[in-house]
Amino acid sequence: MILRPRLEDVKTIGYYLGKIILGLAFTMLIPVVLGLAFAEINPVLDFIIAFEAALAFGLILIRLCATDKDLSWMQGMIVVSLSWLAAMVLGAIPLYLSGHWKSFLDACFDAMSGFATTGLTLVQNLDHLSYTHNLWRHLIMFIGGQGIVIVALSFFVKGLAGAFKMYVGEARDERIMPNVISTSRFIWMVSMAYLVLGTLALGVTGMLGGMSAMNAFFHGACVFMAAFDTGGFAPQSQNILYYHSSAFEIITVMIMILGAINFKLHYHVWMGNRREIVKNIETITLFVAIMTTFAITAAGLAQTGIYPSAVLLFRKGFYQLVSGQTGTGFQTIYPAQFVLEWSPLGIAGVICAMALGGAVCSTTGAIKMLRVGIIFKAMKEDLKRIMLSERAIITEKFHHIKEVFLEDKQVRSALMITLCYFILYGLGALVGMYYGYPFKDSLFESTSAAANVGLSCGMTGVNMPTGLKLTYIFQMWAGRLEFMSVFTLLGFLVATLKGKR
Amino acid sequence: MKLRVPFNIALGITTELVYTIFIMLAAFFICLIIYFKI
Repeated sequence: MILRPRLEDVKTIGYYLGKIILGLAFTMLIPVVLGLAFAEINPVLDFIIAFEAALAFGLILIRLCATDKDLSWMQGMIVVSLSWLAAMVLGAIPLYLSGHWKSFLDACFDAMSGFATTGLTLVQNLDHLSYTHNLWRHLIMFIGGQGIVIVALSFFVKGLAGAFKMYVGEARDERIMPNVISTSRFIWMVSMAYLVLGTLALGVTGMLGGMSAMNAFFHGACVFMAAFDTGGFAPQSQNILYYHSSAFEIITVMIMILGAINFKLHYHVWMGNRREIVKNIETITLFVAIMTTFAITAAGLAQTGIYPSAVLLFRKGFYQLVSGQTGTGFQTIYPAQFVLEWSPLGIAGVICAMALGGAVCSTTGAIKMLRVGIIFKAMKEDLKRIMLSERAIITEKFHHIKEVFLEDKQVRSALMITLCYFILYGLGALVGMYYGYPFKDSLFESTSAAANVGLSCGMTGVNMPTGLKLTYIFQMWAGRLEFMSVFTLLGFLVATLKGKR
Repeated sequence: MKLRVPFNIALGITTELVYTIFIMLAAFFICLIIYFKI
């Protein structure tokens, strides 16, 4: 029997949601500071309006739902899923006010794409967007990559009870340190350390390529945030193709791979356990997955002969592939080139890469390497069971920070999430085909949205049907949160409507 | 002891960068295999 949620549940959810929104509101002051420095008065006003709206919404929720109760698992999951929807709507306000988005839905699409680190965009005339709005587009990727709740926990919300339940709800099931707050702060420490290094490297490369120092470092910071958080937005409409620089491409590939590494692995490697990088199941699986999918893509591209040298194949083929595998979505080719120039085998390799993703507890989306590794280990165990003597005791283990014996519950969990992703990829592809797009394009774009990648073969655009925009928003949201929070929210809504008192 | 943590972090970052370079080199090797059929 389903029980209808009590008013106390709604109040607890509202109170913690208000706190997260309050944290989000304060992040809007960062573009305000930049806007004032660049004397962009109108964009600053856009952000002040959005800041006030978020502040008012957060404070009203906190005041109306004031409670001293701790979060339950169900409430924690619902707070997370609603936080991401609220972030989408509030984050879209300054974008819409800029006039570069055709409708508020388009601005919401880009806000969700940013927070979920996807990178699909419906912006118009990007090359003339203000610095302030451009920073916000990339900042929401930096916030969403770390996690909206992580931001709130790290900087704005002190001593929040039930923090771990929200941390898990945001698809981070690995606690790096005993305390969730210190875990959140370590995640920020890694990101900030690489932000300094990455911005410096990209900024200097931009300057050597002829950009002014201010532009080079602004682009460097924006591209770093989009690369490390495997987002895929770029300050210019031509994406990474704009820079025409192999050095820029190599640096961004390195940042994308770093962003696809588990934060727990960063912690252990940074604390002196450097051999972990060659022993960990995720880094090994990531290497094998990239090599396998790239071999498929490279074979497909070699068939067509569009890239007549090994260097070109590497610069164009490997770049799009690793961008897809890490879930970034940076492109050094135009979207239409996927459809017009790439062979089906080449595209199939990229779709597989996008569907697999990077490491768990990283900023990437999709199925993720730990799950892929566990599924292969389970297959190996079953194969051994068939091949070896019936009396043999068969155990399988894998190395993930420590030696872990493979258990059925790990396999079940990995398979369940994998199945959910396949359903989500298929769902978007079906909706695409319903609107008349070819199967290959629909599957490519759907996988890109659901796996939070952002590579596009040209389907995503201002004129795509509203139903498809809504489908992609749902895919980006569900894919980023890895389903459980979304399912819990749906269950809560069903219980509210049909539950017994 | 205080110096050890920044030193470990620097070495850790270097290790991770080597991992990314290794992936790129391996991918470039695949490109060479395909074009020169080694």
